[in-house]
Amino acid sequence: MIHPILEIDHLTHTFPSGGGIQDICFCVFPKEFILLAGPNGSGKTTLIRHFNALALPTSGEVRLHGIPVTADKVAARKTVGMVFQDADTQIVGDTVFDEVAFGPQNLKLPLSLIEKNVTRTLERLCLAHLKDRHPATLSGGEKRRLAIAGILVMDPEIIVLDEPFANLDYTSSKDLINTICRLNQDGRTIIMAAHEVEEVIVFATRMIIMDSRGCLAKDGHPVDLLGHLEAHGIKEPCFSRMGYKAPPWQR
Amino acid sequence: MAALNLFAFRAGTTALHRLDVRTKMVLVCMVSLAILAADFTGCLACFLVLYGLIRTIGISFIRLLAQLKWFILLLIIMLLTSSLTIPGTPVFSLSGVMVTQEGMARGALVAVRFFLVMMTGLLFSATTRPTALKSAAQWFLRPIPLVPEKRVAIMISLFLRFLPLILDQAQQTSDAVNARCGNLHKNPVRRIRCLTLPVMKKTFMAADNLCLAMDARCFTEDRTDPAFEKGGKERVFLAAGGGLCLGMVWQAKVSFWMTFWS
Repeated sequence: MIHPILEIDHLTHTFPSGGGIQDICFCVFPKEFILLAGPNGSGKTTLIRHFNALALPTSGEVRLHGIPVTADKVAARKTVGMVFQDADTQIVGDTVFDEVAFGPQNLKLPLSLIEKNVTRTLERLCLAHLKDRHPATLSGGEKRRLAIAGILVMDPEIIVLDEPFANLDYTSSKDLINTICRLNQDGRTIIMAAHEVEEVIVFATRMIIMDSRGCLAKDGHPVDLLGHLEAHGIKEPCFSRMGYKAPPWQR
Repeated sequence: MAALNLFAFRAGTTALHRLDVRTKMVLVCMVSLAILAADFTGCLACFLVLYGLIRTIGISFIRLLAQLKWFILLLIIMLLTSSLTIPGTPVFSLSGVMVTQEGMARGALVAVRFFLVMMTGLLFSATTRPTALKSAAQWFLRPIPLVPEKRVAIMISLFLRFLPLILDQAQQTSDAVNARCGNLHKNPVRRIRCLTLPVMKKTFMAADNLCLAMDARCFTEDRTDPAFEKGGKERVFLAAGGGLCLGMVWQAKVSFWMTFWS
């Protein structure tokens, strides 16, 4: 029997001004590629911020390997790496190398190990040639890869991406999809929050649909849920509208 | 993709890049103090040295002037103010307003000194990684009791990180206001309010996001300290810089006493 990495147990988070998420329950298993789809304001970002205790619930619990994430926040943040929607505001370092080294420095790793891990991660994400560049001078796609490198260097089991394709052009989106798929094939669990599912739906192994009230509306295989997307304010992919099967176009 | 300003760190392998950041900080302090004491001859010598070093890191003088245009305008205003307010031998007079020789000389000297200090700062910031600067600040603050040096160092580094972001947001907001003819408002208070409130809101939101992103990567004050890189020429630079500073100060004193006795 496969044990879940992450268990979301009756999670509710309400804001004084209204909105939030209501009674969310699901489990995340190793090597899954979960597409968390929902319209704007459905609580996707609020939900994923509970996965590594960046947000604390009003009620309910998130457990990582059976232990509440609030019990050991550092372990939770090492295990669940998070890439935020706006890459510009999450970049802390003054060079690409420093940015990737930020996490390992926080973990107080020895300098030699930090250098080794950072170099390996930059090579893996094809950023090694940019290591001395200022992050502000990178393109949108490169910044997004840098943000992924910044968490990948901490060797997380789960990578959570919040709207990773926002403001990216076609080529950058394609590169980013390839990077994410490669990470998934290497054995990492991917959870991606998105309101546009066209780009990634063929790669996801599971789709969770959230409705505009912040409730979990559907959970299943992406192909099985194609017909439910429009009902929840999410654009149905073109191939599905035209009655075709999911194309294997980037596999 | 954003363009970097002149003062942003640019990676390189020059001797200045490889110099220990603490040595650079001491040199910047020494040279700045010497500039404030120097006269025109000393300033000229200092300018030639700084210009040579700026050329080695690949910045053209034209670009330097272009980027500092507003600062140069400020220096010109200072020069004009001195020329008009300091009493002395009149050079010319127009409608009762007199430009004096002493005022022009004093104003020009002050303007040149400010410009040289700016060039020194540029050399420092363009060849020093902000993380190294943070480490140096932490190192210098360590012996001072009751000062949380790691926290101060992180605050310095975040300030350096955030300043361009705030300027960028201010520019974007200003463009958005002007795109809707906000620049036609005559009331300066209203214009400032239209710009300040959105910029502050955006800045606080960006700061909030940054805090979350730092938390997500296990941020703590007790982190691995980066090692100081030593290029091996620290003593040479200190000796040369010290010699230049002493020369500038000595020349200014000699010049002063010669004028005084004559």
